[in-house]
Amino acid sequence: MKLLYTLKESQRQALSLHDGETIWYCVPVDLDFDNGMHNARTSYTDQTWIVVTEERLVTLRGDEKTSEHLLADCEKIKCEHQVGCGIVTVFPKEGLPECVARFSMRHIIRVAYAVRGAQTLVQAIQEEQNPKMVSRVESREYEKYCEKCGRALPGTSKCMYCDGKSEILKKFMALCGDFVGRLIAISLLLVLLAAINMFNPMVQRYFIDNALANGQGTVKDLWLFIGLTFVLTVGGMICWIYRYWLCVKLGASLSMSLRAKLYYKIQVLSLSFINNRKPGELMNRVSRDTKQIRIFMEEVFGDMFSTVVTMAVSLVMMLIISWKMTLLSLAFVVAVLVIIRMFWHHIHTIFHKQWLRADDLSSNLQDILSGMRIVKSFGKEERESARFTEKTEAFAAIQKKNETFWAVFFPIMTFLLGVGTYIAIYFGGVQVLEGSMTVGELVQFVTYSGYLFGPLSWMTHLPRAVMQMLTSLNRIYDVLDEEPMLADKAESKAFPIQGAFTFEDVSFGYQTYEPVLEHISFDVKPGEMIGLVGASGTGKSTLINLIMRLYDVDQGRITLDGYDLRDVQMESLHSQIGVVLQETFLFSGTILANIRFAKQDATLEEVIMAARAANAHDFICKTPDGYNTYVGEHGYNLSGGERQRIAIARAILNNPRILILDEATSALDTESEFLIQQALNRLVKGRTTFAIAHRLSTLRDADRLVVIDKHGVAEIGTHNELLEKQGIYYGLVNAQLRMSSGEK
Amino acid sequence: MEDNRENGMPDLLDLQEFDEEALKRESEEVLQMRLMTSENAVFTRTEGGFLSLKFGEKTYDRVGVYLTFPLTNPEEFISIREADEKAKEIGMIRSLKDMPKDVQDMIQEQVRLRYFMPVIRKVMEVKDEYGYAYWYVQTDFGSCRFTTHMGGDAVVSLGEARYQITDIDGNRYELPDLYALTVMERKKLDLFI
Repeated sequence: MKLLYTLKESQRQALSLHDGETIWYCVPVDLDFDNGMHNARTSYTDQTWIVVTEERLVTLRGDEKTSEHLLADCEKIKCEHQVGCGIVTVFPKEGLPECVARFSMRHIIRVAYAVRGAQTLVQAIQEEQNPKMVSRVESREYEKYCEKCGRALPGTSKCMYCDGKSEILKKFMALCGDFVGRLIAISLLLVLLAAINMFNPMVQRYFIDNALANGQGTVKDLWLFIGLTFVLTVGGMICWIYRYWLCVKLGASLSMSLRAKLYYKIQVLSLSFINNRKPGELMNRVSRDTKQIRIFMEEVFGDMFSTVVTMAVSLVMMLIISWKMTLLSLAFVVAVLVIIRMFWHHIHTIFHKQWLRADDLSSNLQDILSGMRIVKSFGKEERESARFTEKTEAFAAIQKKNETFWAVFFPIMTFLLGVGTYIAIYFGGVQVLEGSMTVGELVQFVTYSGYLFGPLSWMTHLPRAVMQMLTSLNRIYDVLDEEPMLADKAESKAFPIQGAFTFEDVSFGYQTYEPVLEHISFDVKPGEMIGLVGASGTGKSTLINLIMRLYDVDQGRITLDGYDLRDVQMESLHSQIGVVLQETFLFSGTILANIRFAKQDATLEEVIMAARAANAHDFICKTPDGYNTYVGEHGYNLSGGERQRIAIARAILNNPRILILDEATSALDTESEFLIQQALNRLVKGRTTFAIAHRLSTLRDADRLVVIDKHGVAEIGTHNELLEKQGIYYGLVNAQLRMSSGEK
Repeated sequence: MEDNRENGMPDLLDLQEFDEEALKRESEEVLQMRLMTSENAVFTRTEGGFLSLKFGEKTYDRVGVYLTFPLTNPEEFISIREADEKAKEIGMIRSLKDMPKDVQDMIQEQVRLRYFMPVIRKVMEVKDEYGYAYWYVQTDFGSCRFTTHMGGDAVVSLGEARYQITDIDGNRYELPDLYALTVMERKKLDLFI
């Protein structure tokens, strides 16, 4: 996303930049705002900008400065999300906060990034660093609109109308290159099919003129004709079926190969790429967009070429037979096309409406079904069913109307298209009667005109189908072309981990403009157990994500055994980390397969030892199929504690050097918790461990505790040290003690 | 009671201020509707474009104005909140009409700053193209072009003939009365309504 727009020369003048001052960020805003005068005017505005240099924050309206702040005088600058809009607020070191700009949601992301950039400059100045050395904030988010044509971009980086089309087609051709043999076969078949189609009327004409019309034909001629027509028809049919089969196969393999590539790519890409997309969007790209391409190959691709070829050749043949008659019937076709075009919008509208109603209906139904218990317990069944009936009735009415319209419209259209033929027959018939045309030629002409007009209504769908396919392709290639941000470098190291971590001034946010962790610094010795404490949403899990390197830090660095975490080979790192999370995810499969997930070649003995260490062996033995018991969606139902213990066994099996426990014992009954606690105690010995827990008793064995609050480390030390300090941790422990004694 | 205790277990939203007594007090305080009147609340415009408040003993440099029924009752039950991230409620204005004129103006200014939902007065053009609809309308903020998805939730009914339109950026537009539009304009909206 662009954060540095170019200003007009007169506007640059208005800024009166002094020597050496450069513009860092320059973004547009669109709501008129009467600075500080309490009169947020109700009108849109044009040519209004927020400009950030390394010294100042300026707002410009036309050629006029509407506000100006020295960054050195600012405490902080914030982009505040309002309702349906946003404002930029400056908090000066002295005095009250000041609102300097207002904008609609169209600009909020861009402004948020620019303000985040301004804030890093403010911070640098406060820390007495040279602001020129600060790295610029960049946005990896895509633009929502094409800069050239203003069309909305469907989650892609390039606009298909402006510069994406040819590139996408080139890529598509390259992809088709893998299936070149099949493509050649299809094209040959297409030519053959067109030839057969063209040949058929010629045979008819020859037979009519030379055998029937002049009365000299014999029964032998008749048999010959029937035989030839039969061979041509059957041959055409076989070609058609074979071609269809080839197209289906091609479409299926194409979409399969795209799907596989996409799936692989999404696995490789960092979580931040995936998190930047709406949930379900990537799934759509894998399933729906590839399906779109398959459908296109099956239903459109083959027909498209054969139809165009057939139509072109028919037209030429018709012109040869009689150009006058051809032009006459063409004039008629134009008229019909205009009619179709006129009704097109209406047809589209009524079916879109029907689709909207169906959508509404099904979401309503889902609402009621999933809220059934509420509906029943409040005794509102009748009201809800009345509401639903109303909606179904509306849907039925629209559907009935649409179907009626279609049932009338379609035959009329077909009839109109046929009228062209009547005209041709009339004029042709006159010519035949006059003797300037043979009967055979007339029949041939009529057949060709059928070939020409038949697919016309189908052709009107073509642009839409092609466009849809291109959109899907575009969306797919957008993912395929993405470079994984967390890729291993050539010099990445793989080594046996000792487990010493250092956090050096680490800052990170899932959205660059919204920091979750700021300025985190602390050391962890090998084998140490660190307990992470803090309220929900303070960034404990985020810290753990950084340790696992699911994300890269924005600022500062994390080192592992002296190496920057970004220089450690990912696979080497992940194979030496064991993870137990609060939400235990078991894959559909056997208990054995689940335990073995991290280490596929583990022996059965190792698996049993791991299960014993996790206190899972006993309950596994009691299940009907032991370690072969199938768990997952339709499998054996395990309790939360049991699932958790399987997850622990999975983490132990690998003998990891680093262990991560994220709320591993929350939401369990006392007995399970005890068993798991025991298992965990065995597990953490000699491994660097990071554990998150709300229940502080779980962390009593931690060597040190890190209290996270307000995006940073608030307290750090052993249990006793923190108690003596009487700070946040002290308050927490007391509160929990009081609550648990209250419970008894 | 049993349930309550379990749910209330470690809900430690703000560690810095964690204090059982304070929490208890807070949850008691929420029960009260602290109504603001011209006697107990003094609003003042600040230089930066916001409002400051003196309410009872306490003064606030900047307060937020939140409508609790922005779509149906924008002038009633206005919640006045602290300006920080937690946005704790300071008090409520039962009905703006009962406040002095200058207070009404001040509150309305803040509402205009915080809320943005242009009202569509005239529909010039709606064009649909491959999954998106491109709108060109006249609003009370001036003429405006925006883009919506063609899906079902771009236009939702707010009851009767009142509609709300959401564009792909998340801007919302209000169409107060469908039947105030001309027949030609309504026809352009056929696809959605």
